[in-house]
Formats: sequence, C-alpha cells, structure tokens
Amino acid sequence: MEAKVTPTKSLNVCGKICPYPDMDTMTTLKKMQKGEILEVLLDYPLSVERIPRNLTKQGHKLISVEQLDGPNHRILIEAYGLK
Amino acid sequence: MSVLLSGLIVGILFGFALQRGRFCMNSAIRDTILLNDTTLLKAVITAVLVGMVGFATMAAFGLIKISPTPFFWGANLVGGFIFGIGMVLAGGCASGITYRVGEGMVGALAALIGLAISATLTAMGFLKPIKDYLQSSTKVMVGESNPTLANIFGLPYFSVALAVVIIVLFIWFIIAYNNPPAPKSKDSLAVRIFRKGWGWLAAGIVVGLINMLAFYASTQAGRSYPLAITSGWLTITKMGMGVPETKMGWDAWMVIGIVLGALIAALIAGEFKFRFPGWGMLAQTFVGGLLMGFGAVTSAGCNVTHILSGLPQLGIGSLVGTISIVLGAWFMAYIIFVRPQKA
Repeated sequence: MEAKVTPTKSLNVCGKICPYPDMDTMTTLKKMQKGEILEVLLDYPLSVERIPRNLTKQGHKLISVEQLDGPNHRILIEAYGLK
Repeated sequence: MSVLLSGLIVGILFGFALQRGRFCMNSAIRDTILLNDTTLLKAVITAVLVGMVGFATMAAFGLIKISPTPFFWGANLVGGFIFGIGMVLAGGCASGITYRVGEGMVGALAALIGLAISATLTAMGFLKPIKDYLQSSTKVMVGESNPTLANIFGLPYFSVALAVVIIVLFIWFIIAYNNPPAPKSKDSLAVRIFRKGWGWLAAGIVVGLINMLAFYASTQAGRSYPLAITSGWLTITKMGMGVPETKMGWDAWMVIGIVLGALIAALIAGEFKFRFPGWGMLAQTFVGGLLMGFGAVTSAGCNVTHILSGLPQLGIGSLVGTISIVLGAWFMAYIIFVRPQKA
C-alpha cells in the first residue's frame, strides 16, 4: 500500500545535525497544501524517532517510516495544509 | 592501572546508553520550546532522580563522599549561559557531542575540538584571567564546604535528597496524571536493547545507574566525582600539547570510553555512518564548541557535571549552573530557530 504513495515533494536532510532534520521538515510541511505528500530522507537516529512523534501536533499525518539501509530512513508525511 | 581501566569501562557503558537512549541534554532542554517535546527531558529528570536516591544511599553507607561543585554565582551564571548558547550552536551538549563522534558525526567532532581548545585556553591560556576573576570575586562557601541545599540549612544530605525526590515525583505525577500510557513494544528484548532506540524511562534509569557506578568507581580510583566530560577532554588536550605532569586520569579514560561505547552501540544497531553537515554547519558547531569549553571551565562544569552529577548532590553551584545553561540554550534556540519561523 505504501509503495503506491507518490510524494509531491522530496526533502533530503542526510548529514544534517540536530535539530535541522526536524526543523527543515516542519518548515517544508508548513508551505505545502493539504493532502500533499512529503518524502523526507534522513540518517540521524534521534530525528527518525522524533519527527514521527511531533508532526501530529501540527495536524500532519504520518504515512510511513521505512528503513532503507543502516541509519538511512525514508519518512512519508501527508501535509495538513497550514498554508 | 586497574582503577583507570574502570574509567574506560564506565565510559563504554555510558557511551552505549547515551547512543541507545539518544540521551542528549541539549535536545532535552531545547525541544521543550522548539518542538513542544518533553521526551528527553523526562529521561534527564529520571536520571537525576535515580542519581539522587543512589548517591544519598551510597553516601549513607560510606561508599562515596558527596563532593558538590563550588558555588561562585558570577562564574556559574556567565559560564552556564555561554555554555547553553554554545550547545545549541554545536547541536549537542558535552555528552551529546562526545557520543555522536562515535556515531560518525563530523559536526560533533568539530564541536568537540572547539570545546577542547577553549577549555584549555580557559584553564591555562589567555582566557584564564576572566575565569579566575569571575570565580574568585563571587565565591560563596558554607564554612569549609561548598554550599548545598542541605548544608545551607544545616540539614543532613540524605534527608533533603529524599525529600526533593518525593516532591519532584509528586509534582510530576500530578502533571502527567492524564497522559496516555506508552504503547507496548512487540519486539524481543534483544531487539529493543541493541537495535531500537530506548524509551525515555529505560534511558533515564540506566544513565542514573551508570552514574552511581561512576561515582563509586571513581572514588576507588581516588577521584571522587560522578560522570563529567570537559575535564577528561581537557586532560587529553594537555597530554597532546605535552604539558608537564599531566597524567591520563579516570575521567580522561572515561570520555574515550564514551566514544568507544557509542561506536559499538551504533555499529550493532547499524547506525554508524560518516555524516558531513557541510562547511558552514561545521563552522557553526566549532564555534558552539568554543563557547561550550569556555562556559564549562568558567562555571566549573558542563551539563553532565552540573545537571547529571551536580543536581543529585544538591550543589547550589550546580543548581545555578543548570538554570543558566537552560536559559542560555532557550535564548539561542529562540534566536536561531523560533524567531526566523515567526518572520
């Protein structure tokens, strides 16, 4: 089911230090329309756990957290549309 | 030699727990205002409470002797505030940047080098007069001792420590009463320990227990203080510079152990990777480290010495140091993260 989701936008925050993966994700989501899908590629373990637990506070919806290889993860989020 | 080996072993355990628990006090403090996230803060408070009960019990049985950091309010305030600013720029507290070096984060390494350089300059270089002035002109003592929440009232440490733990737990219980319970994990214990990140409660308890072990082991080694970070890196830098009569102490072996422990944990979990944040970010973390080194030596403690090890001993110097670290971190987080979002 998850494989069928096509991201509207992709954000690569690999290599970034704390808390930029989280901040960049939230800032990007803010600029997106309701229902648009954001793909976040990241490799920072703390943010892999922290982004999913915080994005619902802004009303966004977590679609999936997928481990690619090692610390590299792909998170799919459906934007709430704050714009 | 065996006593110094205990420093290395405690460090490896600490580094392992820090990496698994994602235990970073910069995140704990900063995320409260930035992301409205208190997960890591709960881990830190748990570790402090476990330490408080543990130290009080161990001291009552004569296994350790409480050694609170000095209280010099000017140095604690200025040093703590600058340290707090620095750790937000560095993207990690003193223990955070140390364990993330073991995860392969190049930004953390730049911050650590900055911290080591400025800690050395503040301890024995051109910044020393500033530190000395701030410390000596504002030092307050209770008789021959450094002040604690217990001795300023003439009360025994054990009773005050337990009273503080009970009061904090009571307040916490009231605040968290309506929180939903954490979801149960379906993974096996081995997977939860070695592959997945730990929950805040497990991380807090384990770090607290390691700190008790650290206090006991370092007392056996003739050092008599729980976990600390900056002093270890300071010793290693001095060794590298060939400063005469510098010896690898318990705390120097301990910080090396942290990097090793985090490396082992990251390798087992498949989370090790060289991560380069870009030159601009590297410069920012380096500057953050420089501020942290000055702040830690001036305030006589980084976040670990003051928060993790100092608060459980009820030291007033650590209490003031902690408050200034928090204020410095919030100030900088507001400047570089919160304010730009509002614009």
